[in-house]
Amino acid sequence: MIPIYKSVLFSSIGLALSCASSLAQAKTTVTIATVNNSDMKRMQILSESFTATNPDIKLNWVTLDENTLRQRVTTDIATKGGQFDVLTIGTYEVPLWAKQNWLVSLDSLPESYNTGDILPAIREGLSFDGKLYAAPFYGESSFTMYRKDLFEQAQLEMPSAPTWAFIKKAAAAITDRSKDTYGICLRGKAGWGENIALLTAMSNSYGARWFDENWKPQLDSEAWASTVNDYLDLLTQYGPPDATANGYNENLALFKAGKCGIWVDSTAAASTITDDKQSSVAANVGFALAPDNGLGKRSNWLWSWALAVSSSSKHEEAAKKFVAWATSDVYTQLVAGKEGWAHVPPGTRNSLYRNPSYLAAAPFSPIILASIQAADPNQPTVDKVPYTGIQFVAIPEFQSIGNAVGQRIAKALDGDITADEALANAQWVTEKVIERARFIGEK
Amino acid sequence: MSNNTLDTNRPISEIDDEQLPVPKHRLHGPIHFLGLYAAEHVAATEFVIGAAFVALGATIQDILIGLLIGNTLAMLSFWLITAPIAVKTRLSLYTYLDQNMGEKFSRFYNGANVLIFVVISAAMITVSATAVRVLFDIPPQIYPYPSNIAFAAIAASASIIAVVVAYYGFKVLSEFASICAPWLMVMFTTGGMVLIPALNESLTGYTTLGGFSDFVDLAGTAVFTGINAEGEPGIGLWEVIGFAWAANTFAHFGLIDMALLRYAKKSVYGLSTGTGMMFGHYVAWISAALMGAATAAMMKTSIAVVSPGDVAYYALGATGFVIVIVAGWTTANSNLYRAGLAAQAVFPQVSRQKVTLIVGAAVVIGSCFPVIYRNILPLLTYAGLLLVPIGGIVFAEQRLFPKLGYKTYWFKLIGLKDNTPALTTWAVSLVFGFGLDFLNVIPFYYLFIPTWFVSIIVYTVLAKKAGANGSYPEAEQREEAFAQKVEKHHAELAIQESQPHIKDTSMLTKGIRAVWIVVGLIVPAVLAWRVLFNSPDLYEYYVNREMFYDLTIWCTIIYFVFAWWDLQRSKALNKAHA
Repeated sequence: MIPIYKSVLFSSIGLALSCASSLAQAKTTVTIATVNNSDMKRMQILSESFTATNPDIKLNWVTLDENTLRQRVTTDIATKGGQFDVLTIGTYEVPLWAKQNWLVSLDSLPESYNTGDILPAIREGLSFDGKLYAAPFYGESSFTMYRKDLFEQAQLEMPSAPTWAFIKKAAAAITDRSKDTYGICLRGKAGWGENIALLTAMSNSYGARWFDENWKPQLDSEAWASTVNDYLDLLTQYGPPDATANGYNENLALFKAGKCGIWVDSTAAASTITDDKQSSVAANVGFALAPDNGLGKRSNWLWSWALAVSSSSKHEEAAKKFVAWATSDVYTQLVAGKEGWAHVPPGTRNSLYRNPSYLAAAPFSPIILASIQAADPNQPTVDKVPYTGIQFVAIPEFQSIGNAVGQRIAKALDGDITADEALANAQWVTEKVIERARFIGEK
Repeated sequence: MSNNTLDTNRPISEIDDEQLPVPKHRLHGPIHFLGLYAAEHVAATEFVIGAAFVALGATIQDILIGLLIGNTLAMLSFWLITAPIAVKTRLSLYTYLDQNMGEKFSRFYNGANVLIFVVISAAMITVSATAVRVLFDIPPQIYPYPSNIAFAAIAASASIIAVVVAYYGFKVLSEFASICAPWLMVMFTTGGMVLIPALNESLTGYTTLGGFSDFVDLAGTAVFTGINAEGEPGIGLWEVIGFAWAANTFAHFGLIDMALLRYAKKSVYGLSTGTGMMFGHYVAWISAALMGAATAAMMKTSIAVVSPGDVAYYALGATGFVIVIVAGWTTANSNLYRAGLAAQAVFPQVSRQKVTLIVGAAVVIGSCFPVIYRNILPLLTYAGLLLVPIGGIVFAEQRLFPKLGYKTYWFKLIGLKDNTPALTTWAVSLVFGFGLDFLNVIPFYYLFIPTWFVSIIVYTVLAKKAGANGSYPEAEQREEAFAQKVEKHHAELAIQESQPHIKDTSMLTKGIRAVWIVVGLIVPAVLAWRVLFNSPDLYEYYVNREMFYDLTIWCTIIYFVFAWWDLQRSKALNKAHA
């Protein structure tokens, strides 16, 4: 009997030791929530390089469309769900979430990361109380992308700084529905980061604003009515069908397929639409500044998709390690080596815009840099406002207001309600939210 | 000769029905108790207790599991402790004590009841007053004492009106309370449903939830956070179980619900209390907590000081004022009435007017102090501790003494003036229970368990010494003869009362009933469903919520008009057939 006991005992010890050993070698899984655009998908593919040099870290990717990503990530972080370690968020969320202590400060990144190289406007947008809370993956403004061949056919010349009136005229001239060619593509999908981002930036150039200096909503103003009417006219008369289904990704696909004459959207699209491997119109793409309306403000925005570490992450160090790698010079070099300089994530570092290889491969880079540098989130509108942010209002309530107003505008675009109704609804819901927020403030 | 109030030599027809066991023909089946308990346990107290769990810092997991276990234990207590004694004796506890514990014990018992019912009445009137406070734009009462003279005036006026109504119009208000239960259940549930999107939006900016796990995450972050009102780690699973179990100790271990369960055909109907425990003390508590947390989030204040009036207004709009006033007042009404009766029994020589005035004055003063309603959960727990020894004494007599060969009704058989062992047991048990509390040996919500066992042991020992194990053949024969007289009397009553309950099957009544069920209950539920599940963004949410607010107040008015009409027609029909 004794040998049997001994055998069981040794087997057990052996099993325990083997378990302990495998536990010691267990990988740390870092879950990353990210948006499904081409730059992020590229990062996912190239991340093999990171895991090769960090065998103890396993990456788990959750890739979602922009609206779904925002809701999933916000719900998870606000309710401390702990599903995600690394979050893809932007300049709207970072300061607000950092204030709530929902994000881990990235101040302890190694010196080699060279935080000082990040473009000041981008760095400021991702900081709170002077501390960096998210590392910029790429930075963007918005500008006008157009088809030079279609402009030539229509005997038009795109000014370097067009007006909305010119855009409308050009869109009308280019549109040829029989050939599936649409004069203009704009974001129609509802959401504060989709149609509302474009409309808010556009409204700035029309002299509109979300709130006056006393936080009174201004969506019932003439300026907003002009903005929305022009937006609806552009899309219903010269835009593609089912425009409410089109966000950034959908319009990118349409432009690449040669179906858009003009597209006013993110500067991040430049490298893709000029890449002849991906775009059927790569040779005929031109760029201009975002349109204005002669009131001194252009409709260019400022945004950065950035990587942040959730404060409810159980793998903070591994998550930080990944964030530092994905937003570093090392990653830029990796992309340049594998896919060419034109495809490196733009708009985050000064050094990139001094890099001759990049400037040669990305002739659009000067206009992008100019657009980013011209965007001023601290003075976004013609008249004074009590808020910061260009294509958003940097208050916690904006997410719900923006989504609600975005839905009303989308309904107007679908023809379910009129522009006046949409704006009246928008004014009503915004007043209700602000009334509540002010009530809270007074408490 | 026994000294209790039941004179067995009097003609039985002259003895008040309450003094006799319930006759067999008046017993009810399980459906009656399912409805009765569902109605009993959805009251204004639920608004306060739900919020109390949030303020105590329970986590969502502890709430979901702890309330389930605690309420199951409460249900089992009703089934295994209260119901068997109620079914065996067929008496209310008040009558049982009156006949078996002597005058002094009954007076002390009634004195304790006066205290408890005055406290509950005062708390419920304050709850009603918080709704009126919102109407008159009086600042929230965040301190234990009244910080605004207008609030004190409102609370005092509400108390005076409540006391007057309880004195002169108790029956009408009781009838009114009897039709409130289904409406209260729907309102408690819909209130939580309506505020879930707002709670989510206040936290995440989105009005929709991805699924139940999102709801659990939301409730865990915004409602049951695990952090108490002082910002420290809150109560855990054991505490939640204890509070849920102890919240009704005076009803189950303390045997007060013998008054209800004495009508049960079988003791297994004690399980019917599950409707009250699992709806009123589970769904309604969680719903009230959600409403409280959402309101606190919207008002950016602590849930510990958010009043039921604020909560109801945010959750249900104008209907919220009605629910708080109705729920508060109907709960206060019955408790005021009980307090008055108990006080009269304590001071039989003082006129009813004077007694009512004294009790009323105490309620008026108490209702001005928000600290009472905010502490209703611990107060109910301590009230339970006060009465649990009585339950232990009765349990010993009814369940233990027969097994030990003692006489269950030894006090009646001997014919003593006072049941000294019972008085001593109660005193010893209270010293033991509150002593343990003072020494902080175990959490106060579990004190009732050792106290109950102590009361059983002490009483068994003392009753034996007092002669409970003796033989009293003559007295037993007398009691047996009386029991036979009662049985004969009940047989006669059964013939007299053989008229079955008439069901009104007329088309008009069916129509009236259809109106209050569909318009009063189903329509608000459907509207709340739309708010919760059909509000993809804030605009849609506000539109749906405004519609819910605007229509539900009319549904409420229609509900009460038609339900009252239905009740009166049913009464008139039965009266005509009697």
